[in-house]
Amino acid sequence: MSVKLLKQLSTYKSALIGLTVILALVAISVYAVVAIPYDKAALLWRAGEQQWLDNPRNAMPSWVSLLTRRSLPETLILDTGKPQPGVSKAVVPVAGRFSRVKIEFSFNYGYDDFPSELNVFFKASFNASPPLVTVHWVKPNGEDVTLKTLQIPKEGSYYVSNDDALAKELRSALSGKLNKTIEYEVPVTTLLFAVEDEDLLNPGTAKVMKGAYKLWMEGSAFETGVDVDAKLTVYGKVYGWAGTDHLRRDLGIAILWGTPIALSFGVIAAVSIALIQMFIGAVSAWFGGSVDTVTQRVTEIIMILPFLPILIMISTFYKFNIWVLLLVVIALSVFGGGVKNYRAMFLQVKEFPYVEAAKAYGAGSFRILTRYLIPKVLPTIIPSVVLSVADFVFLEAALAILGLGDPLTPTWGKVINDSYRNGALYKGLYYWVLEPSAMLTLTSLSFAMLGFALDKIFNPRLKEM
Amino acid sequence: MEGKQLSVEGLTMYYKTMRGEVKAVDNVSLPLLKGETVAVIGESGCGKSSLAKAIIRLLPRNVSVYRGTVLLNGLNLMELSEEEFARKVRWVKITYVPQAALNSLNPVIKVGDQMIEPLVLRLGIAKREAIEKAAEALTTVGISKDFLNRYPFELSGGMKQRVIIAMSLTLRPNLMILDEPTSSLDVLTQASIMNLLKAVKRDLKVSMMFITHDVSLSSELADKVAVMYAGQIVEFSSADRFYLEPKHPYSQKLMQSVPTLRRDKELAYIPGSPPSLLNPPKGCRFYERCSLKFEKCEVEPPTIPVDKVSSVKCWLYG
Amino acid sequence: MLPLVKYVLKRGSILFVAVIIAVYITVLIANMGGYVDEIVKGELYLQVSQGIRQNPAYRGLNETVVSGLINATYHNELKRLGFDKPFIYRSFTYLSNALSLSLGRALFISSNSGSKSVYVIIAERLPNTVLLFTTTQLCLFFIGLFTGLILSRRYGSLADKLSVLLAPLSSLPGWFYGIFLILIFASLFRLLPYGGMLDVPPPADALGYSLSVLKHMVLPVLSWLIAYSFIEVYVRRTFFLMFSSEDYVEFAKAKGLPEGLILRRYVLRPTLPPIVTDFSLRLIASWLGAIVTETVFNWPGIGSLFYDASMLFDTPVLVGLVTIYAYLLALTVLVLEFVYAILDPRIRVGA
Repeated sequence: MSVKLLKQLSTYKSALIGLTVILALVAISVYAVVAIPYDKAALLWRAGEQQWLDNPRNAMPSWVSLLTRRSLPETLILDTGKPQPGVSKAVVPVAGRFSRVKIEFSFNYGYDDFPSELNVFFKASFNASPPLVTVHWVKPNGEDVTLKTLQIPKEGSYYVSNDDALAKELRSALSGKLNKTIEYEVPVTTLLFAVEDEDLLNPGTAKVMKGAYKLWMEGSAFETGVDVDAKLTVYGKVYGWAGTDHLRRDLGIAILWGTPIALSFGVIAAVSIALIQMFIGAVSAWFGGSVDTVTQRVTEIIMILPFLPILIMISTFYKFNIWVLLLVVIALSVFGGGVKNYRAMFLQVKEFPYVEAAKAYGAGSFRILTRYLIPKVLPTIIPSVVLSVADFVFLEAALAILGLGDPLTPTWGKVINDSYRNGALYKGLYYWVLEPSAMLTLTSLSFAMLGFALDKIFNPRLKEM
Repeated sequence: MEGKQLSVEGLTMYYKTMRGEVKAVDNVSLPLLKGETVAVIGESGCGKSSLAKAIIRLLPRNVSVYRGTVLLNGLNLMELSEEEFARKVRWVKITYVPQAALNSLNPVIKVGDQMIEPLVLRLGIAKREAIEKAAEALTTVGISKDFLNRYPFELSGGMKQRVIIAMSLTLRPNLMILDEPTSSLDVLTQASIMNLLKAVKRDLKVSMMFITHDVSLSSELADKVAVMYAGQIVEFSSADRFYLEPKHPYSQKLMQSVPTLRRDKELAYIPGSPPSLLNPPKGCRFYERCSLKFEKCEVEPPTIPVDKVSSVKCWLYG
Repeated sequence: MLPLVKYVLKRGSILFVAVIIAVYITVLIANMGGYVDEIVKGELYLQVSQGIRQNPAYRGLNETVVSGLINATYHNELKRLGFDKPFIYRSFTYLSNALSLSLGRALFISSNSGSKSVYVIIAERLPNTVLLFTTTQLCLFFIGLFTGLILSRRYGSLADKLSVLLAPLSSLPGWFYGIFLILIFASLFRLLPYGGMLDVPPPADALGYSLSVLKHMVLPVLSWLIAYSFIEVYVRRTFFLMFSSEDYVEFAKAKGLPEGLILRRYVLRPTLPPIVTDFSLRLIASWLGAIVTETVFNWPGIGSLFYDASMLFDTPVLVGLVTIYAYLLALTVLVLEFVYAILDPRIRVGA
């Protein structure tokens, strides 16, 4: 039967497209589950910013560079803890307890756009006296700027791009050089990387000075056995294939992992609700009498209860994890309107002669239900089950967007919710909204296309050309 | 009395399905004289209903081929546009009583309103007069005129059939096509409907095309008989001759399978089943099941005239 | 006529019982089985103690006296609000109040005019929802009906094939398209507002006011029209296709009746009962105010009211909303069974 079904389906182009996309989504799900096991993914997603500190914030996907004609910067990390060319560190004991500390980071910067942030992370081991260093910045034109003199913490950072004092200093120096007042607040990253000419006066036309840059620091340590490690992070504006969110998290994880979650939520909900409703309808129609009456009344009561509002009420109170939410959705839907439809169908089927024949040869109710009635009705419900998958996927997304639902699991709806909360539309961070939306659209459309084609095959009243 | 009422020549109608093209009506030719009743008999699926619908242009949605000539009193119906056909032919010249009339009446409109529709809308007759005519028509078919104010679901199957026959007669058409008018009715009702039709034929002298699978039933009304097999007419004959001496092997087998009242008869049957209309065989379509077949039958036989009136599509007579 | 009346009365009473039970369940859920009481009581205690401690009249009083005063006031408040009795007991009071539509006062929300009466709060916002969604549903209905009817007679044409092809686009809900419409028209092109119902500050004159509302209605209505027109047209077209292959339609054609008459009398009229039922049920359901749509567009209707009340756990408002909806729905079902009986003579004559 399934071979014949596949043959029939293949005559509908829309079904083929839908099926292909669904298979692709399943493949993505399998990949997601295998490449990043659930616990690790959940851990990563829920981890605070510390986990993600090496990523730029709100970075666009890397491929955006292909669309714009400017090359957008990627994040550059130079770590004294990981020896590489361009990084040099020296802690040289001098006299007594003193040591001379010198760290140099050299790199080439050739992008067309400025970095988003600049940060130097420190790790030092000492007892009571922190080492003291002066941090310098050297531009490709040889200009050396003193950034700051600071004490190296045991664990901390010098957030260069957030240094307001430095910013003011550099800005007034710049106005002096250009002999003009600058109308806007030039950010530190621009000040450190720009060509200092008239173009700087306008944020849109500021040019990047491309070439060799150096951040170096020199100073002293005041104890024996002091060690210092530093990590320079020049944050880019693009990251990965999906970009990052406001917490610097790689959106790729959410998009990837959203797939198996959405698929399982949708399919499990659709299938179980349909099956249970059908079973209830069958029992109600077959046994009739008080069983039927009670079932009908219960169904009517549940039908009068508004589904989404009740779901929202429950969700605001109990912060459900997504699988509990799935159970709740199923529980609330089981006595829904579908029961009445199925019951009507079974009432018809019940009168068929072969059912009477079965009764005559002494078949028990259960046998009749499972062997005769249900298999007759089952094909006709397949299209609506497939079509309803899309509804459930969007139900979960809707709850997430409303801020309810599971706050800890990476789902597409949650990503949209984050983006909305953080003003993605105002800030023009369209990728943040478009990526999860595209996934939702793909999933939903593919199931819908498949469902409509199935409807044309299975719906007895639609036997058309 | 004489003179051709209807002349069908080479009427062909195919329609497309998922499994291919169904050649429902394949090059059918059929004459019908004024006041005459032609019975079209054949098995289910032989295309007789399609023939009827092809004549009055009630084509299915997926029609692919529709050609031929249909002359009604000399006027070629195939040349008329859809709108002209609806206006000039349908119901005024040719009426159609469909198979299973049980669902042919609009369930939410009163019987009377449906009966006067063609009168008021097509002939512009005033409503009151139209109602009178409708009442008269109902009486003719033996239904009380109270039913004008009832809804179709209040009528039994037989009554609905009578109503439809009454509706067919109100505009005094030239030709009535009846497609299995009694097949969904019980035997008693069937008998009364047949009596009604006989009265109509006798008193109103309407030409009729009576389509049925029931050979014995057809004999009550037929002046001429056309036998349809696999989309083609395989024999056309006067009724007297046909029921006594059918010519085509298929017709012969048909007659042999009909029980008779006065004689003991061993009933024959035809082995096999009719060919699918999707891909009819190349030669004579009855070849597979014919007990009189020979070599020539692998080529499709032409329609061979046997006398002034009859013709057979069989090499036995060529 | 009598069997009809008896039928309606019987169905009516069954539905009313269903409403009672449904509202009671809502009362239970909205109060989380009494758990919300704890929250409310906690809030109340905080309020009372803060109020007293900050009251200059009580400064300098002995601590035990102050505590005693706080407790006494707290218990008075509890009594006043009826919180001194166990929840189950109160739940029935809630139920009877809700059913008689004396909806009480909101816990946290107040209307624009400052009133805390649940009735006023709801009454203030209901018209907005009705306006938005009735417009939408009417547009969808007529688009679907006319296009579907026309397409049903043009089976196999390009337009027909297109309607079938585009139907899956309706699997994406209206609010989803809404987000993109906002993205394009509000964020990118800055043509239309991001949301809300009126400009701030609202125009003083009637014409300006109406235009402002219309301007804000464009995107939400458009989002629903884009989302649901496809499926609406497809369903109607399929529906009419099925019914135009009915024997009586073919017979009408055999009678040479004009095309328009066939469409109106033989295709549309017999199918009116389910169409009308469907539309009315949908219309009433839409007045619950699609919650997500109203939230996305910030439309001040009862959908977003529901959302706000849920966030704040303002149970009187929640119960009030659900009760009104339950009544509306039950009433609609009843009225429709009545109308259905009139339109379909088979039921009326009691066949």
